[in-house]
Amino acid sequence: MNHTAPTYSADFATAAASRLSRAGFLCGVVGLAVAIGLGLAEGDHMRHFWLSYLIAFAFVLTLGVGGLFFVLIQHITGAKWSVTVRRQAEFAIGTIPFLAFLALPLLVPLFSHEGVEEFGGLLWSWVHPHGDHAALITSKVPFLNVNFFVGRFVGYFLIWSLMARYFKNASIEQDKTGEHELTVRMRTRSALCLIVLALTYSFAAFDLLMSTDPAWFSTIFGVYLFGASFLAIHCFLVLSTLYYQRQGHLKKMVTIEHYHDLGKLMLAFTIFWAYIAFSQYMLYWYGNIPEETAWYLIRITSPWTNWSWIEPIGHFFIPFLGILSRHIKRKPPLLGFWAFYILVVHYIDLYWLVAPNLYPDTVPFNGVEVFALIGVVGLFLWKYGQQAKKHSLLAHRDPLISDCLAFQNY
Amino acid sequence: MTNQTSIHGILAEFDSVDGILHAAEKVKQEGYRKWDCHTPFPVHGLDGAMGIRQTRLPWLVLVMGFAGCSGGILLQWWTNAHDYVYRISGKPDWSLPANIPVAFEMTILFAALTAFFSMWILNGFPRWYSPLFRAKCFTRATDDRFVLAIDARDDLFGEETRKLLESLSPSTIEMIEAPIEDGKIPLKLKGILGIALTLLLLPPAMIANARFTKSTQPRVHIVPNMDTQVTHRGQEASDFFADGQAMRLPISGTYAQEDDRLIGEQVGFWTGKENGAYLSSIPMDVTPEFEDRGRARFGIYCSACHAVNGSGQGTVHLRAQELLSKTWVGPTDLRTDAIKQQAPGQLFESISNGIRNMPSYSSQIPAADRWAIVQYLKESL
Repeated sequence: MNHTAPTYSADFATAAASRLSRAGFLCGVVGLAVAIGLGLAEGDHMRHFWLSYLIAFAFVLTLGVGGLFFVLIQHITGAKWSVTVRRQAEFAIGTIPFLAFLALPLLVPLFSHEGVEEFGGLLWSWVHPHGDHAALITSKVPFLNVNFFVGRFVGYFLIWSLMARYFKNASIEQDKTGEHELTVRMRTRSALCLIVLALTYSFAAFDLLMSTDPAWFSTIFGVYLFGASFLAIHCFLVLSTLYYQRQGHLKKMVTIEHYHDLGKLMLAFTIFWAYIAFSQYMLYWYGNIPEETAWYLIRITSPWTNWSWIEPIGHFFIPFLGILSRHIKRKPPLLGFWAFYILVVHYIDLYWLVAPNLYPDTVPFNGVEVFALIGVVGLFLWKYGQQAKKHSLLAHRDPLISDCLAFQNY
Repeated sequence: MTNQTSIHGILAEFDSVDGILHAAEKVKQEGYRKWDCHTPFPVHGLDGAMGIRQTRLPWLVLVMGFAGCSGGILLQWWTNAHDYVYRISGKPDWSLPANIPVAFEMTILFAALTAFFSMWILNGFPRWYSPLFRAKCFTRATDDRFVLAIDARDDLFGEETRKLLESLSPSTIEMIEAPIEDGKIPLKLKGILGIALTLLLLPPAMIANARFTKSTQPRVHIVPNMDTQVTHRGQEASDFFADGQAMRLPISGTYAQEDDRLIGEQVGFWTGKENGAYLSSIPMDVTPEFEDRGRARFGIYCSACHAVNGSGQGTVHLRAQELLSKTWVGPTDLRTDAIKQQAPGQLFESISNGIRNMPSYSSQIPAADRWAIVQYLKESL
């Protein structure tokens, strides 16, 4: 039931998306093959490779689920500014079923008996509690046991996939029918979905990353990962939009104003991330309780000290000052640089959250991490490109699109 | 010319956004400087059409934000680590993690207040009155009309101004005269304000005077609280009583309810002595609960000095040795024969009244519990 609103046409970026998809697949296969080769050469039961794979997987998970947060929040707030970039987030959430497939290899380190005597498990030492904290970890077995762990992840991905499927398909259906009712329905459903998503993502963060140190606990960990994910998806949208514009798409539909808005949210969530990260640090520092500070102790002592300094300086002060000015947010190539930079420190942040738990005495970072990241991100882009190949880059019959284009920042 | 001096400006009213945007472009091109647009809502593109420069407000906010941040850190360094060093839970006197919340709040406070007040100042607020309010067409500038006003003080203002505005096809054009009042503050009001301001300077002047001069007078109590009370101190003289003393004995026959020693029937129970001799047994029923209670009381009250095993190597003793205290006399080893051979009554008396540098515990531990401790000392330690 369109009235007199101006009409916009769909924007199919088939060629550009295919190129992205092909390049992603190539990177994915080559990257993972090299990473596996390098990992095998280390002769440590592939422990280093699995760590790299876990972090790379967590990285693309923050983009996929971050996209889901993004889409839900646009719907629940009735956001107008984001209509022309929302479709790209919808492509990102379209990869969630594929992310479940990417999670499958992690069953190998979960069930593997390699390195059990030494570490208790290749990644998750609660699989076979050992060492000083064995009694403590054993008391957590009702929650941290292999069957429940796998079951939880099946549940998370089922819930996320269903949500992603609904919100992506409803938006694409609107391309065909232009039905306003769909927008209303998505807004109504986004409320409950957000609550469920926040809870499942929090627990997924506990399970996937926090439980690599099963003796440690932090209730803010889920919020921490949410902040990082929400930051990452905005950076990803900036880069993705830049790519498609460079390929000649979305030229008039994504303006300086939209980049400015994405930049503002990047700045806001850089601050939010720092706020959450520092809140956790300061409370543990003040309380000074051994079982809580142990986690930070391995990070602020050699050899992890320098990595830890990247967090406040590289992940907060530099990007904060970098994107504080509106002039930078309004220059897409510059904003693109900062988006890329933040994604790099976002990876470093994820690495810092997990790696010291497994390698307290060395910083294992080398080519394995780099190639695993290239591989997993490549596969993510492969699927992302496949989504974009089939559908319009623009939710061109969204009832709010006129408002989106009329909006200006002051 | 006489006509022109009494003119404040000229207003053109438009009934569409496009109209005022077009008009603003034209007026800017003509080179006018003292003019403004009044619209009922923010009009996109009007800033550009009028050629208004980007505000400098963000720089002010940035600078004041930094000032707030460093001010917050400086404040905490000064108060906690420099002027009055006070160690809190073993943290360094000056530690950045503890300072960040305050620095963060101060950054936001300074930035927000600067943004708020600078916005006022840069916009020329507070401004109580404008001659434009008298224009008829201006009343709808907050409703559904768009008004462009050119000030008569503009260098280009003249006959052409009206023609220019007419050429832009406005719905109305209106000249407004300058107010008859000269806009100056009346002398009477100036006087009142002057006196009020002078009076306002008095309290700070008095405070400054008191702060830097010496006086033999007691200081002024603005809030006396309970600093001076009509009570007597010990040994103070009093004119009220015939004997001249302020301290009085209780009326004869008074006894404190808690002072169990005055209850005559069980003197042994309360003092540990009967007819001048120490009790040789515990004057209570010895049950397992009684013994458990003795162990627990010993752990709570005695072990800090005497150690849980009674050796006298408790944490207080260890700490005193660590500090190399010269006046410290170590606690007695309670396992020695000298202690074991003492009658229960004597041990009870030592706990109750204290011995050497051990203080009395009668006010802290009830008599029954003291006997429980004695039982524990005799039988279990």
